[in-house]
Amino acid sequence: MARREVALAGGAMSALTKLRALDSFELVRCVVEEALRDAGIPRGEVRSLAVTPPGLAGHSTAMFVSRLAAYLGLPLRSLACLENGGTSGALALRWAMHEVRSGRCPVAVAAGADQRLDTRAEPGETVEAFIDRNVHTTVAVYGPYDGPYGLGAPIPYYAMSAQRYMAETGATPTDLAWAAVRLREHAQGHERAMFRGRTLTVEEVLASEMVCPPLHLADCSQFVSGAAAVVVVAPEVARALNRPPVWLRGLGEYHHPSSFSAGAVDLASFPSVREAAREAYADAGVGPRDLDVAEVYGVFSSTELILCEDLGLFPRGRSGAAFREGRASRGGEVVVDPSGGRLSLGHPACATPLLETLEVLLQLQGRAGARQVPGARLGLVHAEHGMLNGSMVSIWERDA
Amino acid sequence: MKDLVDGAMARAMEFQADGGSGEFYRRLAEGRFQSTRCLCCGRTAFPPRPFCPGCGAGEVEWADLPRRGRLHAFTQQGRALRFLRPEVLGLVELEGVGLVLSRIDAPFEALSLGQELEVAFLPVGGGVVLHQFRPV
Repeated sequence: MARREVALAGGAMSALTKLRALDSFELVRCVVEEALRDAGIPRGEVRSLAVTPPGLAGHSTAMFVSRLAAYLGLPLRSLACLENGGTSGALALRWAMHEVRSGRCPVAVAAGADQRLDTRAEPGETVEAFIDRNVHTTVAVYGPYDGPYGLGAPIPYYAMSAQRYMAETGATPTDLAWAAVRLREHAQGHERAMFRGRTLTVEEVLASEMVCPPLHLADCSQFVSGAAAVVVVAPEVARALNRPPVWLRGLGEYHHPSSFSAGAVDLASFPSVREAAREAYADAGVGPRDLDVAEVYGVFSSTELILCEDLGLFPRGRSGAAFREGRASRGGEVVVDPSGGRLSLGHPACATPLLETLEVLLQLQGRAGARQVPGARLGLVHAEHGMLNGSMVSIWERDA
Repeated sequence: MKDLVDGAMARAMEFQADGGSGEFYRRLAEGRFQSTRCLCCGRTAFPPRPFCPGCGAGEVEWADLPRRGRLHAFTQQGRALRFLRPEVLGLVELEGVGLVLSRIDAPFEALSLGQELEVAFLPVGGGVVLHQFRPV
């Protein structure tokens, strides 16, 4: 796609908090307003708003976006709420880009928000209702074949993925630990990272609680509440702005016909990632060697390793060594997750793809401060849903 | 408490049923570990469906799944919202079918990848019977 049809003009993120800090309407309003200020575009110019539901496992969020638009007081020509698990934020962005490219909406905003599921009983909720709600949520997410086996979180799936990856490639627990340690180092440069100011060593990862073998607690990301938004604009708007726009260069997307383990064929390398990346690279006319920066949806240390390989950044089984040698950090071939990634920035699932996009935007505009990748020109964003059953990849570039 | 969880699970499985899961669990409760096989291309699907996800044909029959399989991956839920307290979860590879998530009825430390396992039945209350696998 070297046609420059759509660009990112600006973006913003909220603070990331363990529990919800704001109601969902204020949370989204704040990031939308801040993203527009960042882009230098008055709110009255927004024609399209695409959002995610404010979390996947909470209460009914039917008609959320309708109430949100009324709350914002914005008359719009396009309004949508999009959901597909972890790709939801990328899907909102995809819709915003469609609306801009259609010619109807020169300015669109894509926003994602996630409010951490409160697994405690609510005020006045009976024990029966509490159990019913949680059991139904589990079976709804994991389906009637896996749900009844007592999964409380996706961690066992990823633990089995990590086990297969290690068995097939010879990767070690230390390789996994390095994935977590280097993300913690990156997060020290991000003023809003959940784990800023808290260092982590390989020894500490390996000594942390074994949650689901071989995954320790420090191999897992933390679900948090938070939101992010980006402003998507047409070329004539992009060229009139004060900052160099960041152009969409290529897209890829692939959904393998599986959901978590149901229908899965490979746990150690994911067809959805390989296929979405292949399409995106071909669309952009670039290869993995050309990238300066990438943000990937690695929610576990083992997934970080696998994703880097499925995206073609490092050879099979070699990500651990690359991480240890600093080849995916500043000064290396490609900087993967300069934001601190899911493990150390924090993971508000519905907002995560937009957090990743925001990081690539800041990097390509040279505005990433202490974590800036010098001279970054080309960046990749990856998002996934299920256990990597589906993936979306986008490639972005700044003007030369 | 256990009765409440069992009842909620039975209702959730019914509410979240797809075109194959109701019949799958009815057969499991009768001691039959079965899924659907396409009458056109012969492919056995898991999870079961009233059509063939491979060739799209609408004619399928219920057929026995292999009773034995190999342990493709396994882990242990040390800390989770556990309804049935399965200590060990695994993905069992059934030849010609694919991967099936199940409870593994053995200590985590005693298991190894590729190990041969055999299916058994696990009544969990509320009229629901699940499958589980044991080392041969």
